[in-house]
Amino acid sequence: MTYGVKLMVSGPRACFTRPEMKVERVSYDVMTPSAARGILEAIHWKPAISWVIDAIHVLKPIRFQSFRRNEVASKAPAGLIKQAINRGDLAGLQLLADEDRQQRAATILTDVAYVIAAHFVMTPRAGGDDNAAKHLDTFNRRAARGQCFHQPCLGTREFDARFELLDPANNLQQPDSAHRTPELGFGVPRELGIMLWDIAHQEKGKPSMFFRARLEDGVMRVPQPGSTEVLK
Amino acid sequence: MTILGSLVRAYERLPDAPPYGYAMAKIGFLISLNEDGSVANLVDLRTAEGSKREPRELLTPKAPKRTSGIKPCFLWDKTAYVLGVTAGDLTPKQQERLDREHASFRDLHLEVLIGSTDTGLIALRRFLEAWTIDQFNAFGWSEELKDQNVVFALESDRRPDNIFLHHRDAARILWASMQSDASGEAEVCLVSGAMLPVERVHPSIKGVWGGQTAGASIVSFNAAAYESYGHEQGDNAPVSEQAAFAYTTALNIFLSKGSKNRIQIGDASTVFWADASDAETAETAEDVWLAAFSEIDETQESARVRSVLEGLRNGRTLADLDPGLSRGVRFYVLGLAPNAARISIRFWYDSDFSDLARNYQRFVQDMRIEPPPRNGNPPFWQYLAETAVQKKRENVPPNLAGEWMRAILTGKRYPLTLLTNVLMRIRADGEVNTLRVSMLKAVLTRNFERKDTPVALDPDFKDKGYLLGRLFAVYERIQEAALGRNVNATIKDKFYGSASAQPRKVFSVIDRNSANHLAKVAKQAPGLKVDLERKLSDIMGKLNPADDPYPASLSAQEQALFGLGYYHQRSSFFQTRDNDATETAQ
Repeated sequence: MTYGVKLMVSGPRACFTRPEMKVERVSYDVMTPSAARGILEAIHWKPAISWVIDAIHVLKPIRFQSFRRNEVASKAPAGLIKQAINRGDLAGLQLLADEDRQQRAATILTDVAYVIAAHFVMTPRAGGDDNAAKHLDTFNRRAARGQCFHQPCLGTREFDARFELLDPANNLQQPDSAHRTPELGFGVPRELGIMLWDIAHQEKGKPSMFFRARLEDGVMRVPQPGSTEVLK
Repeated sequence: MTILGSLVRAYERLPDAPPYGYAMAKIGFLISLNEDGSVANLVDLRTAEGSKREPRELLTPKAPKRTSGIKPCFLWDKTAYVLGVTAGDLTPKQQERLDREHASFRDLHLEVLIGSTDTGLIALRRFLEAWTIDQFNAFGWSEELKDQNVVFALESDRRPDNIFLHHRDAARILWASMQSDASGEAEVCLVSGAMLPVERVHPSIKGVWGGQTAGASIVSFNAAAYESYGHEQGDNAPVSEQAAFAYTTALNIFLSKGSKNRIQIGDASTVFWADASDAETAETAEDVWLAAFSEIDETQESARVRSVLEGLRNGRTLADLDPGLSRGVRFYVLGLAPNAARISIRFWYDSDFSDLARNYQRFVQDMRIEPPPRNGNPPFWQYLAETAVQKKRENVPPNLAGEWMRAILTGKRYPLTLLTNVLMRIRADGEVNTLRVSMLKAVLTRNFERKDTPVALDPDFKDKGYLLGRLFAVYERIQEAALGRNVNATIKDKFYGSASAQPRKVFSVIDRNSANHLAKVAKQAPGLKVDLERKLSDIMGKLNPADDPYPASLSAQEQALFGLGYYHQRSSFFQTRDNDATETAQ
């Protein structure tokens, strides 16, 4: 058991894409636990630790915005690229975007702010001189200074996240009194339906795991790994 | 609740939804068989509506999703599959494909019906074994049969009870077992949370305006760039077969022609439904919403719907008007826009009906203007048409309709593109009518939070843009009084755009010309001249010389106020004229 951390993240736009509407993107109403994990891992991660999200606090009202973007239909072909490396020339690798054009709509969140409450556990890959206090200190130092391995993002890479470390002992930031509405679950818990908990990358076929999400007074509790609430 | 989850719930509450594995299909003809497999009759099932005969909608086993592959339906299909004939001359390649299609139908049925003991299914098997293409001509069947969908029935079933072959119990049981055999691996379904076989390719959703006629999908992964983690097709988003069937069936029913659950908003086909403890309340809620945004003939709606709508428009709360609707009624609105073979979600609203009523009231308040539109409450599409080039529905800017609808439903700010588009249209075609001005006012009231934006002509409102608009209307009136209505190009035609955007360039010119007009008016009607001059000085008196009364340019917000002032002042001229007319009549 280690101490928890509280990180406030915010940004002008966010897109936590629903798996079923991945092509014409529609975002979940609230940050997913896997996106929160991604933000924490961008700040500090080693194979010795594994982040576990406890709760996500929503600070601002949920607002959507929709637009269309021009993209392409194909991915970079890994096999062909490997062949090209071995061969030493680039023939046949080009992607002509105007022949491959796809226009995809996206319905994303605007003006978001969350507080991620999480802790980490040591994994079997922890070495002899790895201890929880060391990693906690490292995370706190890095988060306070704004250090990260790569810019954390709110769902997809194009929506960057601005982060700020909060003191876990202090009272959490609450949403403004004007925003304490049933939309954020104040007064009456708001059911958000089934939300993606995370993806089991180690298992064959990489199945997705889900949980029933609800907002209670602006807080979404995330089940711990191995709990029965995680549907897999 | 998630979008798919709410749709699955709606399917469960639909009174006459097709059961799992069945769907409505348009069937043209019926081949009735004797028990030995010979053909007894060919019955035309089409409804006779004038010259065009419409095939009838029947509940049949669900068709597999066919894009370019060959997949036969069970116990029905088009004549290319069932009989091996199709209209028109065929190239050798087409003929070969036709043969394969018929062979696939034949093989599927002979394989599946092999051990059947049911008389109807045995009859079908014998029919298929004995069928050859020349029998089509031998029977003398009409050319209209070609390329229609065909079902089967036993003659003994058809005569008294009209039971089709796929209605027979043995056929139902066989179809159910065929479905479960074709299931995939079980994974957790993201709609229901249960471990169930995953649907690989979701059924099509037909009826979205602008989409392919063959139907499109919300959940589809039809190119490499859309797949993740090495998953293919439906594994990218595990949805169970039952859930996929439920939500697509519900959507197809809501989107079908003549459904009372759909409305077209710009390019977004919008479906809406209510969830209440009893069906009548749900239907009333849906009717109220439809009447609010559409041009339903309000004399036809039930009295309850009319009273609720009138009350809401007059500002009373839903709890006062109709307590049954204000509690426990959940309302869902989903806007769908087509994108080739896919459907994108424009907006999704899911909340209590009382919230929706409140937000609708705010919208009506924002849009209120005096004098009001001629026909009371115009339908929503008329407002959208005012933002379109040549007022054509297909020219409505695509995202605007969806974003505006979302703002109305949620009570959040309107899209600013609404303001810019209306100003652009006014400048392009010179028409400043009631609908456009009320949209300008709505954006001013909500987005810029100018609660004091006047609904009717407000002589004391001192905003620069408003006063300049009023001034412009008075100048136009002066020219009209002097030169009459039959001028080729009035001041408004020539100068409205530049007056509203760059007043400093224009107002001095207009003022100079107005002196000439006033002189002419003085000769014809001195009283009118005094009246107009007094109006001019009233308005000019409110302009503050220290405050840059004729700015070099006006912001979009001030241009909107210009339009508002112009409209109010101009309408007041017509109103006083009407008042004079009634007084002289008396």
